[in-house]
Amino acid sequence: MSWLDRQSFLGPNSANTLRAMTIGVVGGGGGGSPILQQLAHAGVGTFLPVDHDRATRTNRNRLIGMEPLDALLGRFKARMAKRLIRRINPKAHVRPIVGRWEDNTAALLCCDLIVGAIDTFKARAELEDFCRAHLIPYCDLGMDVHELPDGGFFVGGQVAFSLPGDLCMRCMGIITDTRLSQEASRYGAAGPAPQVVWTNGALASAAVNLIISLFTPWHSAAPRSTCIELDANQGTMAESNRVTSFRGTQCRHHPLIEAGSPMFDIRGGSDPSHGSDYWDKAIGEIARELSSAIRGHS
Amino acid sequence: MNVHFKTPLGFFDTVRADVRRPHTFAAERVGFVLAGAAAAGPDVLLLARGYLPVEDGDYLYEPRVGAMIGPAGIRKALQEAYRTCSGLFHIHMHEHRGQPLFGSIDRRESSRFVPSFFNASPKVPHGVLLLSADAACGLVWVTPKAGPRVLDSITWPGLPRKGALA
Repeated sequence: MSWLDRQSFLGPNSANTLRAMTIGVVGGGGGGSPILQQLAHAGVGTFLPVDHDRATRTNRNRLIGMEPLDALLGRFKARMAKRLIRRINPKAHVRPIVGRWEDNTAALLCCDLIVGAIDTFKARAELEDFCRAHLIPYCDLGMDVHELPDGGFFVGGQVAFSLPGDLCMRCMGIITDTRLSQEASRYGAAGPAPQVVWTNGALASAAVNLIISLFTPWHSAAPRSTCIELDANQGTMAESNRVTSFRGTQCRHHPLIEAGSPMFDIRGGSDPSHGSDYWDKAIGEIARELSSAIRGHS
Repeated sequence: MNVHFKTPLGFFDTVRADVRRPHTFAAERVGFVLAGAAAAGPDVLLLARGYLPVEDGDYLYEPRVGAMIGPAGIRKALQEAYRTCSGLFHIHMHEHRGQPLFGSIDRRESSRFVPSFFNASPKVPHGVLLLSADAACGLVWVTPKAGPRVLDSITWPGLPRKGALA
């Protein structure tokens, strides 16, 4: 009997698929830790938790697995993530990255999916841009707390599931120029970056549901980008109306033709410079030569 | 160095839908895939940027082979590879389920034409892709003079690279 027997409805090969998965989680705090915990329970085999930050006392209201001593010792969140995962699945491979994701992109390129649990819209937009450029599915968590005009607060958030070739976070209306310019004041309503464990947990569960259904689908619906919105005041979670209305449209913000690095050169050297006339002529000659060579074989 | 090929969501479904369309005289359809590239440590990622179907009028009548593309069709593909600095991958399909395999003719013919793709876009690898109804495999040339090598993985959203067989 396998420890994953109770999720065998995911398919006969699901345990192997989950074990083969490599998930990068950028942000090992309140947003990232419940995702790491759930994915470890689900049997994901390899993790790259990325966080440059150390735990502090105020993380303990939401950082899953955190102990009082972690703050006293100033432990790195990425290393705490490894401890969290390995206590659940000692066979999981965990490569904690203490640093910024921008400085560790080579490691992240190995990921089959990247989760972003980071605070600012700017950082979230940049991480999605990186994922899109390398055709990596991206799952983003965002929690919002707004002061209401009549008193009290609105608590909510969203999980954006951004699949290359489908809608992105700009299409979904999560990343906007207005938000990017105003974000410095967005979290001011309830102090710096308010977060609580229960909404993070709800968002993490929604995210893990999307991630697992992408890799080991238990239903016939085709995978697609989506945005699940949480209204913690009403106690509801539903797909964003904007996503529903934009379904089936092409993403205009991340054209596929931009995938890859414009600086890449397999030769490791510089490109001999030729004018466009040279290339027009050369392409014509090559096309004629190849006409007789390129053929299909049934 | 390992070479991995990645596609966006539903990419090969689009290709399959195109090459399954009957042609007036060609026994099969073929196409081209444009690919960007990125270094991932010692490895190379090839990232599908788009599919270029061969237009109906660009096939030549040649009953001895499944499909033959005329100079205009090839020129369009090469120009796109040049214009976008992309790798160019010739793609066709074998209509069965399971892992497809290149035959000796596929390998021989592709070795004749793929090295020439470097003349149009010298910075990136080029190659050939072969689809079945539910899987894919590919050969890649990292330089025009090096022989073909099998792609180490071909993946798409939802298929882990470690579990993927090319």
